[in-house]
Amino acid sequence: NATPRRQLEKCPRSLLVCEKSNFLNEKSRHDIHVSKHNFNYKISVLIPECGILPANISSVIHSFSPYYLVRDLPVYQLLEETFLEPLVKKGNFYALSYNTKIDEDNAIALLSSGQLILSLDKDTYEQLGLEGRPSLYNHKKAMRFVVTLDLTDKSLTPGTKRYQRVLSSLKDRLPLRYDFLFTKYNTGSDEDQTLNKLLSQYSYEEHKPAFSQHTLKNMPCPTLYPSDIQGKTLSCDPHHFLEWLGAVNLDISCENAADSFLSTYVCPEPQSSVSQALLCTVTGFISPENVFVLLQELRQYFDEPKFTPWISLTVHGFMDSPVSWGATEHGFLKGGENLYNFVCFKNQDYWLHMATGAQDGCPP
Amino acid sequence: MEEPSKFERYVYKNASVYHYMKISLVLENGNKYITDAQFKQLIICGLKDLYGEVGASFPFDLLKFDQNELTGILRVYNSGLVKLWSALTLLGSYQNEACAFRVTQVSPFLLALSGNSRELRFGDQLIW
Repeated sequence: NATPRRQLEKCPRSLLVCEKSNFLNEKSRHDIHVSKHNFNYKISVLIPECGILPANISSVIHSFSPYYLVRDLPVYQLLEETFLEPLVKKGNFYALSYNTKIDEDNAIALLSSGQLILSLDKDTYEQLGLEGRPSLYNHKKAMRFVVTLDLTDKSLTPGTKRYQRVLSSLKDRLPLRYDFLFTKYNTGSDEDQTLNKLLSQYSYEEHKPAFSQHTLKNMPCPTLYPSDIQGKTLSCDPHHFLEWLGAVNLDISCENAADSFLSTYVCPEPQSSVSQALLCTVTGFISPENVFVLLQELRQYFDEPKFTPWISLTVHGFMDSPVSWGATEHGFLKGGENLYNFVCFKNQDYWLHMATGAQDGCPP
Repeated sequence: MEEPSKFERYVYKNASVYHYMKISLVLENGNKYITDAQFKQLIICGLKDLYGEVGASFPFDLLKFDQNELTGILRVYNSGLVKLWSALTLLGSYQNEACAFRVTQVSPFLLALSGNSRELRFGDQLIW
């Protein structure tokens, strides 16, 4: 019933959760937040007052697990006995259908917890015949359905009736096949054998996450005090800070006059000038374990005195993942952002910003 | 040394006052030499054609412009997003040459524009 003008001014809903805590606090949930965000596309580290990437951080980044692009993999394969026990149930293994758009196509995700998520359009869902529920983000008609299979559940142990039924749906009734991204955080070598055996049956490519770094010179940098996460007095506010981070990542100038024709964007206040800053990015299909190891290493940056009081780590999720954190359903309305950002302070205080779009549950 | 802080949590809903758009201009006869000012002016003309002088009189920023690729990043107040997006969609010509704007990404978070997983490509594969 909104008037035409108000209709024109409406926008999709977005959420930003800001948490402040300390890494040394035993109740801190930073490890859970990282581990539950299963699918990570890009990581970006910003270290003000730094020109060269510290060796320990560089070493961690270059030890990130490889990931695999597997072509035309039948989905039932993820349930196969030989695969299930050594790989899926052990955890640390992630799979996501590649090049499938969550707002248009079917999308499949296997979480480290052993949950297999099938986000399906209506036809596929009906033909497949597996029990699921309508998507939380259907508009008026139910056009999308989500089937969640807990592959670690007893009822899905190979041999059980339910297991047979699910397997035959995916194998015979409607054999779904997609390109997949796989990654595994390495904890032992016998799991690798299983993975290699699986991969060898299909066409696949191995990739190392792509790394790049830049040293930025003479730039304004927001002032942040850990005690003021809301940006009321000492720090700049969270939205302006994240906007500035976006500007840095996108090489957007912050030096504009207020009356400039092209852009009026400036670094938020309060700010100070830094002579240099290091920006490095890693892109690919990155496991949460790798992110966590990097976070631990970044925390140690302040073990020795540094000029900067803070450093930042941004993690971008996949736009087309059917989940954001844990098994919370994720969709793509006008966009599929699901990202989080750590600001690490000298005293081991941290800020965690978690941002999602219209078709997302509230971050945990 | 500051004392370790206590836990705090805030949830902001629709608190971003802006939306950001990553766009690219495709010209029928290949790329022309277009300056950043011309690029922005083209969009303003599109807005005026569609919404009139008054309807088009809201500001937006051309945060970034790549002259080689004819891509740009725009920042607009939320109230102007729908108008800006529709004007971009309907813009059909530049200096008598057929053209089209592609909106590759929209988000209330500028930071999200730096991590678009739909850009993940391999080898010679064309995605979309």
